[in-house]
Amino acid sequence: MPRNSIQPAVGPETTALRLPRKRMSKWELYSRRFRRNRPAVAGLVIFAVLVLFALVAPLLARYDHIELDFLNLGEPPSGEHWLGTTSAGNDTFAQVAIGLQRSLMIAVAVSVGTTVISAVVGTAAAYFSGMFERLTLLLIHFLMVVPTFLLLAMFSNSSGGDWRIISLIMILIGWFFPARVIWTMALSLREREYVHAARYMGVPGMKIVLRHMLPNIGSLLVINFTLGVVAAVMTETGLSFLGFGVKIPDVSLGSLIGSGANTITSAPWLFYFPAAALTLLTVSMALVADGLRDALDPTSAAGGRA
Amino acid sequence: MIVVATNLTYFLAWGFLDPRNNYVGRRPPLSEEQVVQLLQPRNLSDTVPLLERWWSWFSAIIFGWDWGVSPVGQSVNDQVAYRMWVSAELVLGATILATVLGIALGVYTASRQYKIADRIGQATSIVTMNINIVVAALGIVLLAIGFNNMVGTTVFFVTGSSSLGVTGFFPIIIDALQHLILPTIALVIIGYAGTHFLQRSLLLDNINADYVRTARAKGLTKAQAIRKHALRTSLIPVATQVAFTIPTVFMGAILTESIFGWNGMGRYFLETIAKNDIHGTVAIAAFGAVLTAIGALLADIAVVVLDPRVRVS
Repeated sequence: MPRNSIQPAVGPETTALRLPRKRMSKWELYSRRFRRNRPAVAGLVIFAVLVLFALVAPLLARYDHIELDFLNLGEPPSGEHWLGTTSAGNDTFAQVAIGLQRSLMIAVAVSVGTTVISAVVGTAAAYFSGMFERLTLLLIHFLMVVPTFLLLAMFSNSSGGDWRIISLIMILIGWFFPARVIWTMALSLREREYVHAARYMGVPGMKIVLRHMLPNIGSLLVINFTLGVVAAVMTETGLSFLGFGVKIPDVSLGSLIGSGANTITSAPWLFYFPAAALTLLTVSMALVADGLRDALDPTSAAGGRA
Repeated sequence: MIVVATNLTYFLAWGFLDPRNNYVGRRPPLSEEQVVQLLQPRNLSDTVPLLERWWSWFSAIIFGWDWGVSPVGQSVNDQVAYRMWVSAELVLGATILATVLGIALGVYTASRQYKIADRIGQATSIVTMNINIVVAALGIVLLAIGFNNMVGTTVFFVTGSSSLGVTGFFPIIIDALQHLILPTIALVIIGYAGTHFLQRSLLLDNINADYVRTARAKGLTKAQAIRKHALRTSLIPVATQVAFTIPTVFMGAILTESIFGWNGMGRYFLETIAKNDIHGTVAIAAFGAVLTAIGALLADIAVVVLDPRVRVS
């Protein structure tokens, strides 16, 4: 029998004790708010399935993504090749799995990088103020005028298609816009009492930024991170589609769609499957971001009662 | 800022692009002198010191508004002047349509908050906003080809901005529309959702305000009260956002233009990088920076027009 959870009448004439109120932990609250947003839960499930697919499918696949099957050139989906083959004999199933893996790796790496850099730079600029703040803002405003997509294309074109270099460049070009947003958020934070208290206690400046200010914009950072994944996937796809991104033999969803686009009428399966994977990825991530906003943001109107 | 950024791009472009590469692997191979002879009059030869190259490029712009020539000798001015209008034809129409559609949907869903129409609108918009432009454009191409096959004639053209050999006023317009409609649909599908979400949330902030209730109390219908009072206040941030997206849309049309085979700025951007055309690349960078400035200016104008509290001195 479960513990008695019904509160008996409490008053002067009874001896019943008030049962301790069950407190909800922070995570319980978050997860309950998140679960109430059903599209977000669906998004999370889809995203988990995609990640699982990217991890497991290469092990299940009968063919390697580089291996060429000269007996099946440009074949539609069959029992031998589950998602068909390209005109060169590549197995589309293996290619989509590896491409999804590569796109995810780039997206997560870029999003982690931009979130960390923008958070630290933005809050540090707000906290240290003065000369450092002015220089940072000057740099940010300057970078906003610079045609970033052009730089991105030029850099990654000369990088030879190594996905690590591409992610690094995308981080370097993507950090400043969120940094500006975070700076505005952190401006009000630096006037808070606990920041003053920490400062007068002699806590070193960088430690205040990392331990006292950053946790207070944590929810914003989590949301920024998920939206950053979507943006990075989009940028990477665009680059690879145009041929500036990941290069053969490495594949990403963008380069797969790019090569599928040329044969869109004669071999549409080369386009359908990577395009479906890409759409599911971005839409599911956007739904998750939406749910996280409801769950984490205390000012969100969509939250309703806990 | 624009001038500094453009000059910086010039030096960066020299760091990554080398016009000399265009002559590698030529049959018959060109000798060193021949390459220099081809490049030197175009101010693209790396035998001249970089600062000297920069100065002759920069002074030509300042004194003669001459943005230089490509490695094969085409004038950058001509190229940009022609391609700008091809892009504008596509981008302006798409931006206007997306904005109008976004605002209309925003107003419609906001006045029916949490009803079935609002839910459906929200769900559709979140999906379309996150479909990649490449997927959307190619999907539309597939649909259009299917439609053409079903009807039996070519109703929609999937490549190019106009056909050759069409004469007469109305045939030209119809031909242009046949080419224009697909890329415009692709851009609108991607673009409208942002405006929709912003307009919806802003209007919801205003719809329960006191002055809207006053307007209702004075006898206006709900639709009139929203249109004349609540909408006007909530349009201001939307206008600002739309004005700032103009450069993004122009550059975002890179993918659309390359899929639909339009010879606009986006295509030009790809060609200049592929052909090591430094002057063209820098001109595009400057064009983008100017568009950003124009966007900021338009945003200010929109605020002045819409917000009676802002006075122009």
